[in-house]
Amino acid sequence: MTPTAKTDAPASQEAANTPVIGRVARVIGPVVDIEFPADAIPDVYNALTVDIDLSAQGEDEGVLHMTLEVAQHLGDNMIRAIALKPTDGLVRGAEVTDTGAPISVPVGDVTKGHVFNVTGEVLNAKEGETVEVTERWPIHRKPPAFDQLESKTQMFETGIKSIDLLTPYVQGGKIGLFGGAGVGKTVLIQEMIYRVANNHDGVSVFAGVGERTREGNDLIDEMTESGVINQTALVFGQMDEPPGTRLRVALSALTMAEYFRDVQSQDVLLFIDNIFRFTQAGSEVSTLLGRMPSAVGYQPNLADEMGQLQERITSTRGHSITSLQAIYVPADDYTDPAPATTFAHLDATTELSREIASRGLYPAIDPLTSSSRILDPRYVGADHYSVASDVKAILQRNKELQDIIAILGVDELSEEDKIIVARARKIQQFLSQNTYMATQFTGVAGSTVPLTETIEAFGGIVNGKYDHISEQAFFNIGGLEDLDKAWNRIQKEIG
Amino acid sequence: MGGQQRVYRQRIRSTQSLKKIFRAMELIAASRIGKARDRVTAAAPYSRAITRAISAVATHSSVDHPLTTERTDTNRVAVLVITADRGMAGAYSANVLREGERLAERLRGEGKEVVPFAFGRRGVGYFKFRKRELAGEWQGESDAPTLATAQEIARALYGAFTASAEEGGVSELHIVYTHFSSMVSQEPRVIRLLPIELVSGVAEPGEDVEPLYEFEPSAEQVLDALLPRYIESRIHACMLQGAASELANRQRAMHTAVENAEDIIRQYTRLANSARQAEITQEISEIVSGADALAAS
Repeated sequence: MTPTAKTDAPASQEAANTPVIGRVARVIGPVVDIEFPADAIPDVYNALTVDIDLSAQGEDEGVLHMTLEVAQHLGDNMIRAIALKPTDGLVRGAEVTDTGAPISVPVGDVTKGHVFNVTGEVLNAKEGETVEVTERWPIHRKPPAFDQLESKTQMFETGIKSIDLLTPYVQGGKIGLFGGAGVGKTVLIQEMIYRVANNHDGVSVFAGVGERTREGNDLIDEMTESGVINQTALVFGQMDEPPGTRLRVALSALTMAEYFRDVQSQDVLLFIDNIFRFTQAGSEVSTLLGRMPSAVGYQPNLADEMGQLQERITSTRGHSITSLQAIYVPADDYTDPAPATTFAHLDATTELSREIASRGLYPAIDPLTSSSRILDPRYVGADHYSVASDVKAILQRNKELQDIIAILGVDELSEEDKIIVARARKIQQFLSQNTYMATQFTGVAGSTVPLTETIEAFGGIVNGKYDHISEQAFFNIGGLEDLDKAWNRIQKEIG
Repeated sequence: MGGQQRVYRQRIRSTQSLKKIFRAMELIAASRIGKARDRVTAAAPYSRAITRAISAVATHSSVDHPLTTERTDTNRVAVLVITADRGMAGAYSANVLREGERLAERLRGEGKEVVPFAFGRRGVGYFKFRKRELAGEWQGESDAPTLATAQEIARALYGAFTASAEEGGVSELHIVYTHFSSMVSQEPRVIRLLPIELVSGVAEPGEDVEPLYEFEPSAEQVLDALLPRYIESRIHACMLQGAASELANRQRAMHTAVENAEDIIRQYTRLANSARQAEITQEISEIVSGADALAAS
């Protein structure tokens, strides 16, 4: 059952002239078995099409055009394919056409300002508007060669204090936002789109993978309003789509991003929300494809599938793809194979914590578990590094002391520890920040804090420069100026 | 999930050993507190007698002794705080120190300069950490104070009080200590030791009628001899009260700590159990679905 993979196989001359027709032999949910003539078995990853007559189902008139992707060769002239649309109405014996090539999507400038589905159809074309596609690329491609990879490391400033200080992002790197359900992954990724895409002079590509359809709509509306959409290509395969679509939509978006990088030599931002849905879709079809489930019911080729996607999201010499990926963590369990497999691919991981979110501190970034490859004096400088380690050390000590406080009470702490606890609480509050996305909830506009100010402010807390300022003043503010303002207001209120 | 289980088990183990320590300390405090209370009661008669003697001398003579008159030549004020040597006594030391800070605040408000003396390691550490100079420090026997130490402290304080303004003399002497009212109630208190506040006409009619005293050789000399002993006895009494309070606080704090530890153990046991169950369920479902998949293919 090993697939004989030939990824970029060009369509054979023969197939282009006379289409190869197969017949549906079996339909099990999203997985379809199809019989082909023995001399014309389609390659693995080839796209197949089938038309379903909807009137036969007593529905509206019309024909549903469906695409399938070959996943396995079963032998006996049978292939096993994954459907990219719901297979309702597909019957045995239906004619399936081999397109002779993998699924392809439009690439180039034409993609900017448009919303696509997984097969590259435009979803937001206005009445009468035709999108002229000049070039299409197959979605299955090889990752760039080793010697093409970018080796330079540069920090990528976001203006969010906790991110810049503790998990500095890498220009052209891969960044993961981990979090359980409802701790603010999507909000944070939209915040990043707002901050980064708006000030970014290159192209952005957004992939909506298996998340809420409403959020996709909101994003389109927001981007249209701010005008960013003219520099952005969006590809959606949300949670209402069958697993085949959710498994491929990230690749479709990535292909568009790769074109901008390789052909137009641009710096591209790639946002993916949510990588976990990609893994989940893989596991949904895995058993139906006849694979033995592995740990926690995931597909046995989990790491391979993830690797094939992640290895392509990378920067080549001079041109970068900076990617931000939201990663759902099932049941807040980071040891779950899906998030655990993703970890290894990332340059910076930002973990969102339920405990911090439940205290109302947003963005709920866990300062102790989040990390970055470039949090190293070689890349970020000695100042940044020492302040970040001091902050982490204080928070770590505070965490250890929490047990003692829970059992013995705060009075039992030594004088040094009492100060550490007080500073840690201030740091925790100061790691929260007013964001642009939360403006509608809090009524406070967002703030962008320059890195130097972030370092100075946290350095001040660590050294006790702000010991006299009460804890509340640090909550939900931007930089030092905000701190002064908040402290003055609090002092006035107290009298 | 499996990793979580190990974390929970480890925390249960460490909390269990903490609990044992707390339980032991609770028992030790409980066994010592009887003796500490006895000492408080034993010191009472002498303290009472010397107080009566002092008031007798003071009321029956019109001596203008330096120890009973307000000094005006210096604004320095000595404050002795009596704290514990060790922690694990709840808020015992913290309460005394807080009371001491309040007193210092008030004194400073009156334009006086506070000269701190500390008894007990916690108090010494408190001042040292804040880089405030201590005029005198004693530590090592807060739960069983000896008379010798009390005498030493009394000498130091008496010396400061009788010294001239230029040599660092002080005009007042305050003690902040914890009053032992009962096993369940102890509260921090402030007393002004010197100059002695003379309340004239203390005698309550009907009780023991005060005899008419004559002082040999003179009231002044009697007072000179009596006052240092009086100060000693007051300081010693405060220390004993403090010791009893410390032990009572420790017993209570350790009792709560044991209960808190038990709560935490219970919590983590539940979490560990559900983690274990989740692991079992998951493994079973994996085996079953794996077998099913094999059977189907």
